[in-house]
Amino acid sequence: MSEQTLITLKDLSVSFDGAPAVKNISLTVSAGRVLALVGESGSGKSVTARSLLGLSGGQVSASELTICGRDARNLTDSDWQKIRGNTISMILQDALMALDPLRPVGREIGDGLKEHSSLSKAQRVQRVHEVLASVNMPDPELRAKQRSTELSGGMRQRALIAQALAGNPQVVIADEATTALDSQLTALVLAQLRALKEQGRGVLMISHDLAQVAHLADEIAVMRHGEIVESGPTAQVLNHPEHEYTRQLLQAVPSGVPRFAPLSIISAPRPSAPERQTPTGPLALSATNLSKSFGKHVAVEQVSFDLPQGKTLGLVGESGSGKTTTARMVLGLQKPDSGTVNLLGERFAPLHEPQRKQLREHMGAIYQNPLGSFDPRYSVGQLLTDALSGGKSKRDQSYSQQVDQLLEQVQLSSKLRSRSPRELSGGQRQRLAIARALAPKPSVLVLDEPVSALDVSIQATVLDLLDQIQLETGTSYLFISHDLSVIEHMSDYVAVMHQGKIIEQGATASIFGSPQEDYTRKLLAAMPRL
Amino acid sequence: MSRSAKIFSAIVILLWLVMALAPGLLAPGDPLAINPAQAFQKPGLAHFFGTDESGRDIYTRVIHGAGDSLAIGLAATALGMGLAIVLGTVAALSPRWLDEVILRVLEALYAIPSLLMALLIIAFTGPGVGPAIVAVGLSTAPGYARLVRSQIRSLKNSEMLEATTVLGHSSWLKVRNHLIPNALKPLMALVTLGIGQAVIWAAALSFLGLGTAPPAPEWGAMLSAGRVYLHLAWWMSLFPGLAIVAVAVSATVIGRALGGKVKSL
Repeated sequence: MSEQTLITLKDLSVSFDGAPAVKNISLTVSAGRVLALVGESGSGKSVTARSLLGLSGGQVSASELTICGRDARNLTDSDWQKIRGNTISMILQDALMALDPLRPVGREIGDGLKEHSSLSKAQRVQRVHEVLASVNMPDPELRAKQRSTELSGGMRQRALIAQALAGNPQVVIADEATTALDSQLTALVLAQLRALKEQGRGVLMISHDLAQVAHLADEIAVMRHGEIVESGPTAQVLNHPEHEYTRQLLQAVPSGVPRFAPLSIISAPRPSAPERQTPTGPLALSATNLSKSFGKHVAVEQVSFDLPQGKTLGLVGESGSGKTTTARMVLGLQKPDSGTVNLLGERFAPLHEPQRKQLREHMGAIYQNPLGSFDPRYSVGQLLTDALSGGKSKRDQSYSQQVDQLLEQVQLSSKLRSRSPRELSGGQRQRLAIARALAPKPSVLVLDEPVSALDVSIQATVLDLLDQIQLETGTSYLFISHDLSVIEHMSDYVAVMHQGKIIEQGATASIFGSPQEDYTRKLLAAMPRL
Repeated sequence: MSRSAKIFSAIVILLWLVMALAPGLLAPGDPLAINPAQAFQKPGLAHFFGTDESGRDIYTRVIHGAGDSLAIGLAATALGMGLAIVLGTVAALSPRWLDEVILRVLEALYAIPSLLMALLIIAFTGPGVGPAIVAVGLSTAPGYARLVRSQIRSLKNSEMLEATTVLGHSSWLKVRNHLIPNALKPLMALVTLGIGQAVIWAAALSFLGLGTAPPAPEWGAMLSAGRVYLHLAWWMSLFPGLAIVAVAVSATVIGRALGGKVKSL
């Protein structure tokens, strides 16, 4: 295929109220090629993408911005409107948010056509069906009439992609289109993007995760602090990274990195070869035949697992597989319909809260969204004091030293004590959540998707921290995630959940090395690797 | 809402506080001093707002009346909120049947217009400042209680509360430290609005002779006293009436401003 240049961008700078967000970026997007723009949140990649749609909202300057042969530097709003959707369009991140829950998806997709084409109503409906069929939507005629809330996760993603494709654009921008999706949905979106490439469209893919783009991108540009620090053909960037930061990003990808090997370069020095004692004494955590139904829906069915002391059990599965319900039963937040949970050899659930008061301090939890688990009125110091005092006081100065110790343990500066958690970055918030969970010195931590909302590079430092804490304190982890590469890196044992059941469990190496179940194989095949 | 409206309201509230706490600063005279020779004086330099049938200075009385109005408004709202917090919290945290019982009682109370209920309460207690506070407080409680209940219900299933459960905090500490403060935060704007409303109701009760009794300088009572002389001394009713309006409007404006702020958090 002859390489036709669709977008040429030279020396793009964008600033917001004088503060530069993007500095002197140059890139080209060609027909039938995928360019990946990789970097962490705040690196300016989304601003760059939005500038190509005239949506940046800041002060834009560039020495060249050509979109399909047209100089786009001085376009008016209405000029941009004609380009968007027609020539260049964008696949948004969150299908649930991006699609109007009150309108049939067919109409959502057809809206753009109404603006941009002279098609008749019947032709538009026809086109919507075509587009839906082109993204492999089953029963396109039926689905077009349904609302986004009536569709499954996969169909919703397809609808979102179809929406971007309705006007038959030559360039498609995918802004973190796979972030926060479980591995099967990610695979689906990646396959669709590949199809776009094969149709000869230009694709600009934006992601914080190098592993996500590794197989699809022809070229990679790595962004940091508003600048491109390195760019080149994918193989070259992945195999011979020249910039320090690229190496850091590559190292942060947890897939295939052995247990306890650090993922982040900046992490604190750790005891050399970690020596882990073989656990003695009772199992840290043991679940037996846990079941839970909500009405007719069986959320968890006969789930059993053991977690030895000082080890990590990874619980992996897609969204809706029953992982979180299992976690809630283990934590005693949800009463199981049947089955038991033992903590350190003693009955923990089902019991009434006062009856397990003595055991409570041995069980800690960390959530995906730490901010939601903090009282918004409390400062960092108050949250920790509250946890240390068992909720009796948030101001008791006698805990001051312990607060500092906890902050140090999670590598947060004690200067942050008087800050509100809202002012912290995502990684800092999760560190604070970890510090708080460690306050009662728990034996078991239940971590429900603890790094899913974090950039890969931040995720690496948080995972390193968790490793270090486990080595130092011998805390056992029940680690729940949809991300197989994280599970593989963090777990000694793995349990695979599917439709409420654990379909396969065992040592990490054997599950990842020789999976017995078809479903596990399918999951592993969908896992993005470098 | 415009910035000037907010500044204006803040100034009015500030003035109101000065009037309530140190009325002597703005009106050094005695609000009860009778001077029959000066009865029914028109507003002028000697008497800014004129005088009433006994020659008392309306300006002095309006200023000195602020204290009572503020006290009644605040006390009634505090009483209503206090009751609402207890009822709402109990309802939200109770087993379903008790929640249902409390809800039905609240709905029944809600069905009676607040002022009518206040009259009903005063019919039992007899008129006076205390009964007026109780009456206004009780009649506003059901509305607040329903709001508190729904706030607490949504908070009690939040991750924030679960996190404290996992940390082993006792139920009482969870309610005291997290549930009630967080439930009240978004209601502060409503409470400010409620104070303005309570002032109006307290004045209404006094107007009907069921609250503060004459000759005490209370706006509602003054309004009522002036009613008889409306055709020859309009100022007797106008200025206390304006005072009520000014307080209610400024409380509303500030309540709205607070509401906007809470939402943006």
